[in-house]
Amino acid sequence: MDRTQDTLLKPLAPSAAPATPEPAPPLRKAFDVTDLNVWYGPKYAVQGVTLGIPERTITAIIGPSGCGKSTFLRCLNRMHELVPKSRMTGSILFFGEDLYAPKIDPAVIRRRIGMVFQKSNPFPTMSIAENVTVGLRLNGIRNRSFLQDRMEQSLRMAALWEEVKDDLSKPGVSLSGGQQQRLCIARAIATQPEVLLMDEPASALDPIATMKVEELIQQLSRDYTIVIVTHNMQQASRVSHKTAFFYLGKLVEFNDTDQLFTRPREKQTEDYISGRFG
Amino acid sequence: MADTTRHILGSYDAALSALQNDLLMMASLCELNLRNSLGCLLNRDEELCNVTIADDEEIDQLEKQVDKSGIDLLRRFQPVASDLRHVVAAMKLSGNLERIADQAVNIARKARKLNRSALLPEVNFLDPMYREVTGMLSDVLRAYTENNVDLAIGIPARDKTLDAMNHEITENLTVQMTKFPERITEYLDLIFIARHLERAGDHVKNIAEDVVYAIAAEDIRHMGAQRPGSAADLLGDKADNGDAWKTGDSLPS
Repeated sequence: MDRTQDTLLKPLAPSAAPATPEPAPPLRKAFDVTDLNVWYGPKYAVQGVTLGIPERTITAIIGPSGCGKSTFLRCLNRMHELVPKSRMTGSILFFGEDLYAPKIDPAVIRRRIGMVFQKSNPFPTMSIAENVTVGLRLNGIRNRSFLQDRMEQSLRMAALWEEVKDDLSKPGVSLSGGQQQRLCIARAIATQPEVLLMDEPASALDPIATMKVEELIQQLSRDYTIVIVTHNMQQASRVSHKTAFFYLGKLVEFNDTDQLFTRPREKQTEDYISGRFG
Repeated sequence: MADTTRHILGSYDAALSALQNDLLMMASLCELNLRNSLGCLLNRDEELCNVTIADDEEIDQLEKQVDKSGIDLLRRFQPVASDLRHVVAAMKLSGNLERIADQAVNIARKARKLNRSALLPEVNFLDPMYREVTGMLSDVLRAYTENNVDLAIGIPARDKTLDAMNHEITENLTVQMTKFPERITEYLDLIFIARHLERAGDHVKNIAEDVVYAIAAEDIRHMGAQRPGSAADLLGDKADNGDAWKTGDSLPS
């Protein structure tokens, strides 16, 4: 995937060849957020946030409920616009391009910046295979062998292929909770986005399913930029390279994860992560 | 904002406090044993030698207790940031304290043996070393309890002084050996005692390094000439690189 040649307006092109990891180029900023402010009606949800999210790394966003972390995440693929009375100021550059420029189609954005939610949400009337390829089919791709290849590739990347390869025609909702969440991840990566946004992707899963999802997240970070909102600080500490701590709508600290969890710069960060408030 | 001097979980505070109390108990016993080992030698007190040797058992048990409490704390509360540093430091401190106590036992055993022979005036050669190492131990424990980085940072330089004193005492005693070869065994025991004190100083230095890490999150081990001489030097190393961290310009490699 040559991102330097991509533009936000580029249509999705089918590719028969499976994606192969390229040699790691120098890290760039996938997102460059400057003075981001978001309101939901009178509620000032995100207040003057400035930070840069490096590509092909896992960035965790932590903070107590209502701190603006999910709102911030949704701004990264313009999903907050779906909430009535939402308003935003500031700028978000996605690989250098203005995510909010008038010419940008939010549907294209959401294809390049995929999202996985807290509760797994496979389409109940669709089979496992259909759930994975639905995004591609919605984008007009009908080539059966291409769809088949991409479906298998996505399920393999989501570490689910071996578990479902003999049951592809069964309903997606017949899977366990952890499998359903990995199915949703397979669905998100089937359109080959560059970024995966994850809003508490393992909070509804049991410990074993959580570990499988965490392992998957780490493997995906070789090819994808991942931003994960989590309430679980041990999870942030385990899986992420960088961590942002939000409190009351503001970014308190953004640092390498090992630094933030062993020697935070800000006392508020220290007090929160060590369980002194929240 | 709520009171942030305590954790939301009271049992977490209680566990941290219990760990610290066990460590301080161990430290005070260790300090006492080291001082007693001096009394064994200078006062020719055999009973004190026996007490010093016997008291080591309690320190050994406290080392196991501190390690168990530390592991329980890691398992139950998964501490982070300064809590994590303090738990790890406590577990490392206990190992070094136990070894200092072992040095005290070694000295007490040598002293018991020496006390059965005629008085050697040269035992007084060891007095400055004793004063230095017990002072270092006392100061590093004060640094730990008072979060005093400056006091802890000064310890490694004092350890070098201790090394030099050991070297000088060894040379002086070697000269005495040539003058009084009939007492060569006793002089050798004094050289060993100096060596035990020097080793105790090494452990105090290790403790100082761990205390600096626990308080200031800076690893000052194996820095050679780059080792900071004061807390101000340490803070200088921490100089903020503007707002680069905030905007992600400091990217992970």
